[in-house]
Amino acid sequence: MRTEAIDPPGVAWLRVSPRYVTVRVAGWALGNVVAVAVLSVPLLLVLNGVWSWPPLWAAAALPAAALLVALWRLVLIPRQVRAIGYAEREDDLLIRRGIFFQRVLVVPYGRMQYVDIGAGPVERGLGLCTLKLHTASAGTGAEIPGLPAGEGARLREQLSARGEARLAGL
Amino acid sequence: MTAAQDGWQRVHPASPFIRGWVALAAMSVFFGRDAFERLLQGRPVVDDRFAGRAPWLLLGGGAVLLLTVAGFVLTWYFTRYRVADGYVRVNTGFLFKQQRQARLDRVQAIDVVQPLLARIFGLAELRFEVADAGQSAVHLAYLPVEEARRLRAAILASAAGGPAATPAPPVPGSDQPGPDQPGPGVPVHAAAGPLRAPVEAPERGLLSVPPARLVGSLVLSEQSVVIVLGAAASVLLSALTENRGFFFYLIPAGLGMAAAYWNSFTKGYNFTAAASRDGLRLRYGLLDTQAQTLPPGRIQALRISQPPLWRIFGWYRMQVNVAGYGTGGGNADGAARTTLLPVGTLADVFTMLAAVLPDPGTPDPVRVFTAGLTGLASGPGGPPGAAAADDGGFVTTPRRARLLAPLGWRRNGFTATDTALLIRSGRWWRHLVLVPHQRTQSLALQQGPIARRFRVADLVLHTTAGPVAPRLVQAGLDEGRALLDAQAARARSARKRQTSEHWLAPASRQPASPHPEPQEGPQYG
Repeated sequence: MRTEAIDPPGVAWLRVSPRYVTVRVAGWALGNVVAVAVLSVPLLLVLNGVWSWPPLWAAAALPAAALLVALWRLVLIPRQVRAIGYAEREDDLLIRRGIFFQRVLVVPYGRMQYVDIGAGPVERGLGLCTLKLHTASAGTGAEIPGLPAGEGARLREQLSARGEARLAGL
Repeated sequence: MTAAQDGWQRVHPASPFIRGWVALAAMSVFFGRDAFERLLQGRPVVDDRFAGRAPWLLLGGGAVLLLTVAGFVLTWYFTRYRVADGYVRVNTGFLFKQQRQARLDRVQAIDVVQPLLARIFGLAELRFEVADAGQSAVHLAYLPVEEARRLRAAILASAAGGPAATPAPPVPGSDQPGPDQPGPGVPVHAAAGPLRAPVEAPERGLLSVPPARLVGSLVLSEQSVVIVLGAAASVLLSALTENRGFFFYLIPAGLGMAAAYWNSFTKGYNFTAAASRDGLRLRYGLLDTQAQTLPPGRIQALRISQPPLWRIFGWYRMQVNVAGYGTGGGNADGAARTTLLPVGTLADVFTMLAAVLPDPGTPDPVRVFTAGLTGLASGPGGPPGAAAADDGGFVTTPRRARLLAPLGWRRNGFTATDTALLIRSGRWWRHLVLVPHQRTQSLALQQGPIARRFRVADLVLHTTAGPVAPRLVQAGLDEGRALLDAQAARARSARKRQTSEHWLAPASRQPASPHPEPQEGPQYG
């Protein structure tokens, strides 16, 4: 399928750090290893003769399918990370993400209520951080993951300064 | 009644008992019912097994009662409030103290609520909402009705920021051309305090919902359809399986439905709306009455909807997002608070629109909004671009994506006036969502794999929590992209125009709108 970006034309996107792939892979591993392990339990039980049902092929197919989906998602991660981008325009911040399910978000600086910077253990180890913008709407969900710590701090200061300058009420 | 020192005041002494009457009633029922049954059966009031211990039990019960009452009284004693210097302050608690203050100009809405019991005693609860979408920032329960109204007027006068210096301004009715009819519940404030006796802004009645129409709207509402379908299904099932027991399972469902109807009825009963300088006033309620005041510009998003059966009478419902109200938590009370108009005709809708959006931002609002409510892009025969002329400027889903929404593709669309974005959707359940440009928080363009096939995308506007979730579905990709940019620019310029929370303060702020509204509704109807 031809992938046409839904971004507004003429925007110079800043990309997040490629190291963020590692963070995503770590998260992926944590989730999927557990999932596949749990789904393999019937297979083990059937192999050891503890369970007589389901048939062997069904018991094997379940973790195999899960593994396949997991691997597919693993393959996608680098592309997904490359698809994350943000751009500071004069009056608003643009955040995009996704390939299959694309989303371009526009947050006016004057609408920002506060800015969060957080870092999980893996992110911290890699010197990355996640920036979160909060507006008066819970639906905004503006998040830029995988920023180098220095860039995150710069962006936060920048956003705060711009938000202050353009502050509007609700 | 309230010992005023430095302006600190207490709520009415009876309020702890009115707030705690449920607890007291439960206790008396718990202890009383058993004894009453025994009396009826001719047995001794106290069970023989407990007879020896009766004094102790009574003593224990009395102690619990006394402690409860003492708790109520202490709570009352330590709850004090003050409205001064642009803040409302409330101190509560005697073990865990809490001091809360909220800026008056951040007010999103003020409600005066009178539950039945409070109404009997002539008391009212005042709820002061700021934008935190959760529980009320400040709620004072209970005040004498007069006091609650006076306080509301004082808060509004202070928040409006206009004549702040003069304590009792005879409001210059420059922007109030209507007759100064002091609505049904507005008393003359002769007895109000001497310090600050702000007169409530005169108001102009907009509309009221007759009870017959309310009942009709409930009968024709969505849930009635569900009930009819459910009843038919259960009759069919019991006939097929010859199992009479089905009906017993329906009893709780029926009770729930009856309660839902009853709630909608009591909440919508006697609904009246009035416009004043301090915003929109809504009053409603059969047993519990509520009076809401929404200051100008506090409405974040608005939805006009029409269930299929309401089309027979041309009725509409209006719901709003207000920052302080939140989603309402799904209960009837919250749902009622976010309802701007439970049921109304098209003329009523235009009257309300004129009140909440004084400047529609288009030279022909009636045509545009009518197109938004009932319009449909030109049929499959017409050329794709020709719709704009007769459809109020609505841009609808492109023809190539008609498979995604076989019914709705000619209906799903948007148009932007100078002041608001209008999003319409739904062929059967008609919706028109309206978001003022200066209230747009953020916006996002979204697209899934199937939508990409058809080169369409969804545009989501983020507003504060509430029943309205503005989402433009299946707009053409190019139109959506252009709208994303244009909308960001519009929101920006609209915000630059309005910077103040004080709706009266800069009189020269936006004189461009010479109030064309009052003619609008009658013109149509």
